[in-house]
Amino acid sequence: MHELSIAQNILDIVVAAAEKEGAQKITRITLVAGETRAIVPEQLTFCFEVIAGGTIADGAELDLEIVPVRGTCRGCGEGFIVEDFLYICPKCQGRDIEITGGTELRIKDIEVD
Amino acid sequence: MKVNVMVDVMEANDRIATASKEIFDRNKNLVVNLMSSPGAGKTTLLERTAEAFAGKVRLGVITGDIETSRDAERIEKYNIPVVQLTTVTACHLDANMVASALPHLDLSQIDILLIENVGNLVCPAEFKVGEDCKVMILSVTEGDEKPLKYPLMFRESSLLIINKIDLLPFTNFNMDEAKANALKMNPNLGIMEVSTTTGQGIEDWISWLKQCWQNRVESLRSA
Ligand SMILES: Nc1nc2c(ncn2[C@@H]2O[C@H](COP(=O)(O)OP(=O)(O)OP(=O)(O)O)[C@@H](O)[C@H]2O)c(=O)[nH]1
Ligand SMILES: [Mg+2]
Ligand SMILES: [Zn+2]
Ligand SMILES: [Zn+2]
Repeated sequence: MHELSIAQNILDIVVAAAEKEGAQKITRITLVAGETRAIVPEQLTFCFEVIAGGTIADGAELDLEIVPVRGTCRGCGEGFIVEDFLYICPKCQGRDIEITGGTELRIKDIEVD
Repeated sequence: MKVNVMVDVMEANDRIATASKEIFDRNKNLVVNLMSSPGAGKTTLLERTAEAFAGKVRLGVITGDIETSRDAERIEKYNIPVVQLTTVTACHLDANMVASALPHLDLSQIDILLIENVGNLVCPAEFKVGEDCKVMILSVTEGDEKPLKYPLMFRESSLLIINKIDLLPFTNFNMDEAKANALKMNPNLGIMEVSTTTGQGIEDWISWLKQCWQNRVESLRSA
């Protein structure tokens, strides 16, 4: 359950960012999460709701933008989305695939009052 | 009002890891973060390592075994300084936990510090703790498709140790497939086959670790 640690990190970052803006309340948070980070959205939302209670992020909506795993074929250069762990090039059937996206875990922006 | 943040979620952790790394640099420690599924053979590998380096290289161990102190007791038998972390989450060590162990070790008397992470293939790879490299163990009883399902750990690791090869005849583990899958995730990954119980292949690991330590000492000297 890495969601609890991640939720705590998110809370620390958004509270600091909101305070810097002199905001009183955080209403929405957008998180960009690559599929390789294996985040379970319901768990993260649950953990976040619990730990944000009583802070300026209490009740804030946590939006998850899940970024699919992207691969590039080292054989023919084709770029594609990797689904169901199928690291196979759709163009040449090559199996030598470089992961080029879907590894990030970043807070994009927040909405504050 | 919308506020752009664009901060990596691991930022605070990474800052502490960088501070620990500076401490390790000052003390000329090679620090290895050892990761695997539960029971893949991390502690047994540490025992074999302790035997091989006894009287030659000064080891230190930090272990994140949550349930018991069994892992620490197994290592203490080899007269190696061990710190058992107690305040760990159920699934990984983070930079803060490892930093909390450092005052309990005389780092100036340690050449190689081995950190046994919590048995888990997901989040240990996300939390840097100040290590020079990550090493992961995959046991043949786990299946050869693991690299495809847990790409992050394979990407972050410098070395993959495929352990329990003495059990190969009793599994349907396909060694070529496992290696190909792992290299797909990380073409620079070193791979070796080992049995920590029979000792087969252990010398490869020992010379890898020794080489790593030499490289570390040299790079600190020229820095
Ligand atoms: N057959 C066989 N068994 C092994 C091998 N290496 C470890 N084991 C066994 O696997 C079990 C777990 O080994 P440990 O070294 O405790 O594994 P670990 O990764 O430290 O386990 P946790 O700390 O609980 O995650 C023990 O019963 C070991 O004896 C091996 O190469 N072959
Ligand atoms: Mg262990
Ligand atoms: Zn975790
Ligand atoms: Zn291709």
